[in-house]
Amino acid sequence: MKLKRREFLKLAGATGAGLALSRLGFNVRPIEAASKVTRIHGAREYTSICNFCSCGCGMICHVKDGKLINLEGDPDHIINEGALCSKGAAMYEVPNSDQRVKTPLYRAPGSDRWEKISWETAIEKVAQKIKEVRDENWIEKEKVDGETYEVQRTDAIGFIGGAQNNNEECYLFTKMARMLGVTFLEHQARV
Amino acid sequence: MTNHWIDLKNAKVFLIEGSNCAENHPMSMKWIMKAKENGAVIIHVDPRYTRTSEVADIFVRIRPGTDIAFLNCIINYILKEKLYDEDFVLNQTNALYIADDAFDFKGGVFSGYDEAARKYDNSSWGYDLDGDKKPKKAKSLDDPRCIFSKIKKFFERYDFKTTEKITGTTEEKIKLVAHTMVENKPGTILYALGMTQHTVGVQNIRSFGVLQLLLGNVGKPGSGINALRGEPNVQGSTDMACLFGYLPGYLAPPNHNVADIDTWTKGSGTFRRTFLVNLMKAWFGDHATPENDFCFSLLPKKNGKANYSLFQIFETALEGKMKLAYFMGQNPLVTSPNLNVVQEGLSKMEMVVVQDLFEIETAAFWEKREGVDPSAIDTEVIFLPAAAFMEREGSLTNSGRMVQWRYTGIKPPGEARPDLVILDMIFKKVRELYAGSTERKDEALLKATWDYNYDYDDQEQLIEFAEEVLKEINGYDLTTGELLKSIGELKPDGTTSSGNWVYPGVFANGENLSKRKDNENDPGGLGIYPGFAWSWPGNMHVLYNRASCDSKGRPYDKERAVIWWDEKAGRWTGYDTPDVPNAEEGPDTPSGQRPFRMSGEGVGRLLAATYKDPNPDSDLPRDSSSTPADGPLPEFYEPVESPVDNILHPEVPYNPCVKYPRVESLQPVGDRADYPYVLMTSSLAEHWCAGSVTRNIPWLNEMYPEPVAEMSENLAATLGVATGDWVKVRSARGEIRVKAYVTPRMETMLINGEDIEVVWMPYNWGHKALSRKPSTNYLTIDAGDPNTSIQETKACLVDITRA
Amino acid sequence: MQKAMLVDTSKCTACRACQVACKQWNQLPAEQTEFKDTYENPANFSPVTWTKIVFGKEIPDPENGRVHWPFSKQGCMHCTDAACIKVCPANAIYRTELGTVYIDEDRCIGCNYCAANCTYNVIGFDRVANVARKCTFCFDRITNGEIPACVKTCPTGALQFGDRDEMVALAKKSLKNLQAAGNEKANIYGLTELDGLGVIYVLEDGPKTYGLPEDPKIRLSTHIWDIIFKPVRVLVVAAAVFALWINRGESKKKEGL
Repeated sequence: MKLKRREFLKLAGATGAGLALSRLGFNVRPIEAASKVTRIHGAREYTSICNFCSCGCGMICHVKDGKLINLEGDPDHIINEGALCSKGAAMYEVPNSDQRVKTPLYRAPGSDRWEKISWETAIEKVAQKIKEVRDENWIEKEKVDGETYEVQRTDAIGFIGGAQNNNEECYLFTKMARMLGVTFLEHQARV
Repeated sequence: MTNHWIDLKNAKVFLIEGSNCAENHPMSMKWIMKAKENGAVIIHVDPRYTRTSEVADIFVRIRPGTDIAFLNCIINYILKEKLYDEDFVLNQTNALYIADDAFDFKGGVFSGYDEAARKYDNSSWGYDLDGDKKPKKAKSLDDPRCIFSKIKKFFERYDFKTTEKITGTTEEKIKLVAHTMVENKPGTILYALGMTQHTVGVQNIRSFGVLQLLLGNVGKPGSGINALRGEPNVQGSTDMACLFGYLPGYLAPPNHNVADIDTWTKGSGTFRRTFLVNLMKAWFGDHATPENDFCFSLLPKKNGKANYSLFQIFETALEGKMKLAYFMGQNPLVTSPNLNVVQEGLSKMEMVVVQDLFEIETAAFWEKREGVDPSAIDTEVIFLPAAAFMEREGSLTNSGRMVQWRYTGIKPPGEARPDLVILDMIFKKVRELYAGSTERKDEALLKATWDYNYDYDDQEQLIEFAEEVLKEINGYDLTTGELLKSIGELKPDGTTSSGNWVYPGVFANGENLSKRKDNENDPGGLGIYPGFAWSWPGNMHVLYNRASCDSKGRPYDKERAVIWWDEKAGRWTGYDTPDVPNAEEGPDTPSGQRPFRMSGEGVGRLLAATYKDPNPDSDLPRDSSSTPADGPLPEFYEPVESPVDNILHPEVPYNPCVKYPRVESLQPVGDRADYPYVLMTSSLAEHWCAGSVTRNIPWLNEMYPEPVAEMSENLAATLGVATGDWVKVRSARGEIRVKAYVTPRMETMLINGEDIEVVWMPYNWGHKALSRKPSTNYLTIDAGDPNTSIQETKACLVDITRA
Repeated sequence: MQKAMLVDTSKCTACRACQVACKQWNQLPAEQTEFKDTYENPANFSPVTWTKIVFGKEIPDPENGRVHWPFSKQGCMHCTDAACIKVCPANAIYRTELGTVYIDEDRCIGCNYCAANCTYNVIGFDRVANVARKCTFCFDRITNGEIPACVKTCPTGALQFGDRDEMVALAKKSLKNLQAAGNEKANIYGLTELDGLGVIYVLEDGPKTYGLPEDPKIRLSTHIWDIIFKPVRVLVVAAAVFALWINRGESKKKEGL
């Protein structure tokens, strides 16, 4: 059964009126307390793609008052045709989780706790450290098998990420690493 | 994937080996089931009976790490009984090419082995070349000097008796699989980390390659070798080269001895040089000119003898040389093997930066727990809260190479920000700190094209920012300013730019094609849907599809015709983008006979020879074929930690190119006398990778609350444990305590007359998130494949006792 | 038109998407669980667990060098001859015109008698809200032109939803295929059980293998209750009190929270 988008949209907007009352030959009662509209009635919709495995399943996200209130498979998506696996279906929790970190954090040397810091401070600290490590650990020339070569790099910084990132992010990550002279550039392609 | 998800419905047989796709790629089952309804047969080969096995028609249990022996035995049988597709073998592979006479395999190693260095000189793995540097060809497959004869001899050793002893399965089962594959075509192979996480990971896949080339199962709908990739955008992240050994589009980053583009071209060929030039134009803009070698000298040169993988990041840290690590969306303190090295390594760094959604283990490595004292750890740690995928804009590339756009519909919580913005903030700040520098080392970062302008509070501008980067990746015609429409438009002279040469066309005519959603139009009914999103390269869905046609350009399989040569129109055409060098050059031209055009030879490589394709008008090679570091043919070696001897060549038990241990103190190798059982690990339907996300979802924790050790009834009886009892699992590297799950899905295996027990554990837990349980990766081994450095987490040795 | 759900176990991979989709759509919280003896969790149905994959005991099949690992999606069967409807003293449980069994929470008096009498033990009792809860067949969805959340999310097509006749036809087709492939044990469950269930199963083995009663019957006490007590409306309140009293222990045991 392939659901079409227009059918799905009915779900968000329509009411339960107009149901044929067919008699089944046993104790049947008209709908009384059942809700006439679903809880996504009036919600704004947008689509996304699942962020677990690499099937690339389409998702429909329903939003009310800026909050994700429902998430299910996109029936118009050619790969999953409205379905989602257990992990995908559970993705609803990610934007709603109270476990999400909401501010930049800093852990000082020897400390046993995080402290909240501003973005400005966080970026300043990271950038300063990149500069410091780069400047102190720059390899301009290197001797390999008795010969000296110009190499222009640093081996003291590692950039690791990210198969959970978008293409644009991965591209800029690579570009930034190479421009800084970083050769320890990696990500979780092995897990 | 050579093919794509929906294409699975076109298969007549599935060989699922080293994948538990029902659990780890559940949506694959939608299409596998459709094929099954049409009579397709499902074969599942695995050491463990899983949820995938339950829906398979044929289940074959083999010992972890013995896939090559199993597959090579099938290959040997197919060669011996002449069950291969002869037309395909003759026309689409290098079977007839004459091999170099110096090529040999003896005593467990190929010719050119240097025992002291544990590496090969591969110069004898090539062809006998003619005066034009083209391989000489034999007249028939019977020529003893041709590749076909060489491989026949090589695979001969994998007879049923030997293979039974190595793998633990039977001649009957092997024959059943072989005949099922031969009699049902097209057939597809699905694999995942179960094949790759071995010290012979690449060679495992080489066996698949040989098998599918012999069966003619490449390039056709319903065929192929399909890597079910494990992460949402791991295809994209490897395309974009977040890897030390690549530049975007799988180009080689320069080694220490590659000073200029010409030297680079000697290794990579003029074909790829064009792509490199376009990358340099994308990265350095107007600074990159033909006169300055397109700023090639501004690329960092790695030491060609060194390895820069994730494992070396931590190992270098142990020596105090790795000062700063920046993790974006990765949690190696759960996912990496031998976690002792990761924990120690992180503790020795000066600063660790973690950009993620949740407070993951890697960010909280310093937290007080058994064996960890925060006051003794001097590392500064900075956590940068990132937006989740639903909260930011951008594209990702699925396993079938389909690039799809994701929209922003909700705001990230609190002050969390999109990764793209965080990256931009960091780079701009660094550049600010270096402003005005004239030092040679700062030239690249100051000259890089990096002028993304947007207002963070304006959502529209954030969307434009993401699209602007995708446009940079797609590339421009720099003379007109127009976006490129195809790879064919890339110029070698610096008049075009492209940040990744496999992506031109994703933004053709100024339209973001990754946003397309035409789910109605599927000409041919093969599931290609050319108007839905966009697949690289050039919206091609079935790679090598030229190989679906015979030498005249006619489809082998009329029912599943995907492309063909249209004589009247004078072009290759069909339901998919034809995988040919030039759509107008027919089967009667040399370019019309290059079914595997991305290899130097242009044909499928039964033996992965060393070969550089000559250029008619230049001394520089046109293209260069890649050859695995550990041999041109797949040879079976035992895992580094194995419960038995290697019966093929006891003197070379494991991959002769593997160097392990690298750090003696932290990488002990367990002996089978102390650690008699084989441990294999994996993810679950309910928990994924580090569990950074899934262990923060209560619904998933509810279903699968804790790691277990699955074991056979025999082993349980030996240990005196029942399901639910606590056991201690111990390897040479660590020890953890979990509950036992005794199940007939695990079985004692008879290996060369010996009973061998295999234990399985999921690896998805750690000390943070809502579900906090021990990490299996304290047990696993970090020996790596010599090509990819991938860890051998599918086979190591452990001991188990009642806790 | 009577609606039904098809559960075809030959296509189920136990990915448990149905289990999560149910909780997501119906906004049911997770329960604290631990590993006991199979993958199955939570151990019991409850007011917040309306459907789950039931994992049967693995059966070795040495002849084929494999195992049979029976799993099936279970929950309210929406029985035609439904014990819960019979015993509800408040008339809060009724059959809808779509043939599904529905608990009207506003009418529920929290006597828990339905849960205690349920043939399949799938009704949960919420002690805080003092109401019985179970699968509604996603009544809000199916009366708005959609299919139940569990069916929609199923990747393999093991779950289907539609007119009952249509589901029966699909079940028979699948059974035929299984029989043609040599499975002699394959059978359809739910056609006649309790006068026909709202959930039709294609099973690859006998019902017991899947933890389903082979010949489900409504208990005699339920019948007696239905015939003697229920029609006497004035006794409803008294009955409720009585029911609460006789089911004290039972409700505590089944709560699972």
